[in-house]
Amino acid sequence: MKINSAVKLGTVALFSAVFLAACGSSSSSSEADKQTLNWMESSALPSMDASTATDVVSGETMNNTGEGLLRFGKNSKTLPGVAKSYSKSKDGKTYTFNLRKSKWSNGKPVTAKDFVYAWQRTVNPKTASQYAYMYAQVKNANAIIAKKKPVSSLGIKAEGNYKVVVTLTQATSYFPALVASPMFFPQSQSVVEKYGKKYATTAQDNVYNGPFKLTYWTGTSDNWTMSKNASYWNAKNVKLKKINVKTIKDPQTALSQYQSGKLDATYLSGQQPKNYKHSKQYVERKSASTFYIEMNEKKDTMMKNKKARQALSLAIDRKQFVNKVLQDGSTAADGLVSTGLATKNGKDFNDDAAVPSATTQDLTKAKKLWKEALKETGRSNYSLTLLADDTPAGKNSAEFVQSQWAKLGNIKVTNSNLPFKTRLSRSQNGQFDAVISAWGADFPDPISFLSLFTSGNSYNNGKWSSSAYDKYVKAASGKDANNADARWNDMVNAQKTILNDQGIIPVYQQGKAQLVKSDVKGLIYFPTGANWDFSKAYISK
Amino acid sequence: MAKYLAKRIFYLILTLFIVITVTFFLMKLLPGTPLTNQAKLSKSQIALIYEQYGLNKPVWQQYLLYLAGAVKGDFGTSFQFSDQPVSYLISSRIGPSLQIGLQAMVVGVVIGIIVGAFGAMKQNTWVDSTTTVVSILGISIPSFVLAVLLQYYLGLKAGWFPIAEWGGFIYTVLPTLALGAQPLAESARFVRTEMVDVLSSDYIELAKAKGLSKTGVIFHHALRNSLIPLITIVGPLAVNIMTGSMVVENIFSIPGIGEQFVKSVLTNDYPTIMGLTIVYSFMLCVVLLFTDILYGIVDPRIRITGKAN
Repeated sequence: MKINSAVKLGTVALFSAVFLAACGSSSSSSEADKQTLNWMESSALPSMDASTATDVVSGETMNNTGEGLLRFGKNSKTLPGVAKSYSKSKDGKTYTFNLRKSKWSNGKPVTAKDFVYAWQRTVNPKTASQYAYMYAQVKNANAIIAKKKPVSSLGIKAEGNYKVVVTLTQATSYFPALVASPMFFPQSQSVVEKYGKKYATTAQDNVYNGPFKLTYWTGTSDNWTMSKNASYWNAKNVKLKKINVKTIKDPQTALSQYQSGKLDATYLSGQQPKNYKHSKQYVERKSASTFYIEMNEKKDTMMKNKKARQALSLAIDRKQFVNKVLQDGSTAADGLVSTGLATKNGKDFNDDAAVPSATTQDLTKAKKLWKEALKETGRSNYSLTLLADDTPAGKNSAEFVQSQWAKLGNIKVTNSNLPFKTRLSRSQNGQFDAVISAWGADFPDPISFLSLFTSGNSYNNGKWSSSAYDKYVKAASGKDANNADARWNDMVNAQKTILNDQGIIPVYQQGKAQLVKSDVKGLIYFPTGANWDFSKAYISK
Repeated sequence: MAKYLAKRIFYLILTLFIVITVTFFLMKLLPGTPLTNQAKLSKSQIALIYEQYGLNKPVWQQYLLYLAGAVKGDFGTSFQFSDQPVSYLISSRIGPSLQIGLQAMVVGVVIGIIVGAFGAMKQNTWVDSTTTVVSILGISIPSFVLAVLLQYYLGLKAGWFPIAEWGGFIYTVLPTLALGAQPLAESARFVRTEMVDVLSSDYIELAKAKGLSKTGVIFHHALRNSLIPLITIVGPLAVNIMTGSMVVENIFSIPGIGEQFVKSVLTNDYPTIMGLTIVYSFMLCVVLLFTDILYGIVDPRIRITGKAN
């Protein structure tokens, strides 16, 4: 290579750099209006199709650019959305929603047909929706997903343009919460069919009926912009003009951007929460997601022994783990159901259903129970492998639990940290002794967690089984489904049963630590699904 | 030359075919499904969705279908970015990765040559020691450490460059420097060693004896001949940068393709794994072909056509 050609190559590179850069950027923030929120996510926006999206970022964006029959407000309370009111039949199986006159961002009216079309599209096997199971309570949904009935038989009907009647297979008290989530949002048939395969793959190939509309997103870009939607029925109460969202994967970079004023909020991880705990801008957000240990009862007699399971649970100092090891806003788990998910008369579910004796460390008792369990199963010691994710949190958890269990004596714990999908396959195929699993609730109701551990349920990897538990869960979604008090008691009893029998070992409830600039007001956070609503947010100055 | 090129292109296609085949079958051995919501789906639900994607067919059938699609330019749709064609996912995100990689290569190698040449010319002086220290540092400090240091001091503290994100030439400076350190160091070290050798060879003595100016000797004779072996390391270096920019991309929030490659493997995103493997292997083959051709141009003694046989 001659110097000449190197210089030429360099010049070409420089020019192409300038050229490419000119093509790449679009959202310059120089004209930054006061009512602009600069937000970050740690992963990109992968989809805007309410029927096929699966991730939190998509859910969050759709929740702000779209609106269902109802809408989530503070503390996951459902508020009127496109439906200004609704009524429930006496048996709780039929819901009638009265729609307001509202518009899509293209000026067309949002009608009952848009809901019927969207719901049918999601359960249509051809759509291959990974969230179609959320429709299980809607009449005929399961049969349609399994290709046994036509799509048109789904239990949703439009009566005129502004009335939606939904028929359920059984009374479902949390149904209003379901229709407030993005996978139940309306879709415009003419728009979906117009764009075909390209529908919802960029900001332009879509229509919006929420407080904001997506104005920039190429489908694979790391940045996207939501702008106030003037067609939204409640637009006069939406204060933000623009939300710029940036994908920043590296937490340190995000923090630097926050400190330099480029972001109004940032998530913290690693050592960061510890350093900013005392800042006025520091906020902890509880997620509706519990990490717990499942023990494989099919493997041998030891894991089937209740005392052994109890010993393993009582050996763990959860408070120390979340306060000294994780330090990321996570909290010690009170039970299987996450705290802050559901309340009754102002009381949290875990105020009624926690069993402290099953989730608080008691090393003396643990050692005694472990000894007895060894004796009862005819062993002198026990070795097991603890399976967990290979994420930083997964490794921390496994190492911590290993060190805690070692204190029981006569136990040998080996850790195995695997990539998520591999870990999942092993869990589902029963190839483990004990595994650290997690579940995040799809909707704000305890049954989202409790239904996992009924006998034979495919998520019940440890194969723990209790007829009492099965009975309570069945009653909660069956005979007591329409009786709020009885249903609540069923669910409380179910959690007490699984904790008393130590069917699982709850470890911690995931939390997110965040820094938010003090002039950002009115953010609404909820622990399930979509997480954020920006429609009431504003910048005060 | 034409015959040689045709032969090389045939080998390129053959290599790609073998890479596609091996990757496809290895990939199918990964545990788990490509479904992003796998944790919440039961086996029967997964089976129903598999049917829609044709993933229930025997692997060899899927393989043939994939080949048939790939020939027509259809690489399937991504699972991570649902509904996005893989070809679009790659083409829309590969630009920044290539740009940073290319800039880093050019900047690194050009400065490396200059630094190396100076070192050799001023052999055993403080200039030489300085260049040696620079190249040792450049090789031993990983790009992501350098990236964080640059970001902190030049971005956050001094405020000369943007901390992160993408939006114009100024945004590419820090990532280019972070990634360029390694090729800089490698080529500086290489050029210095080569040039010290060349400078003491007979023809340089002859050139000097004939009364050529010092710069003439250095540029026309010494430097040109020292650069030939550099071509050998530039190829692998280029590939190294193409694949190794993932961490730097993350640190500077560059909307590139680096992370997608790793993530696609971790999430069993079959179409994206295949698409990116093909693109990367194609680039590697092309880079190697170029270096072979460059050899012939720079040094006529090297016969790429293999006439001797």
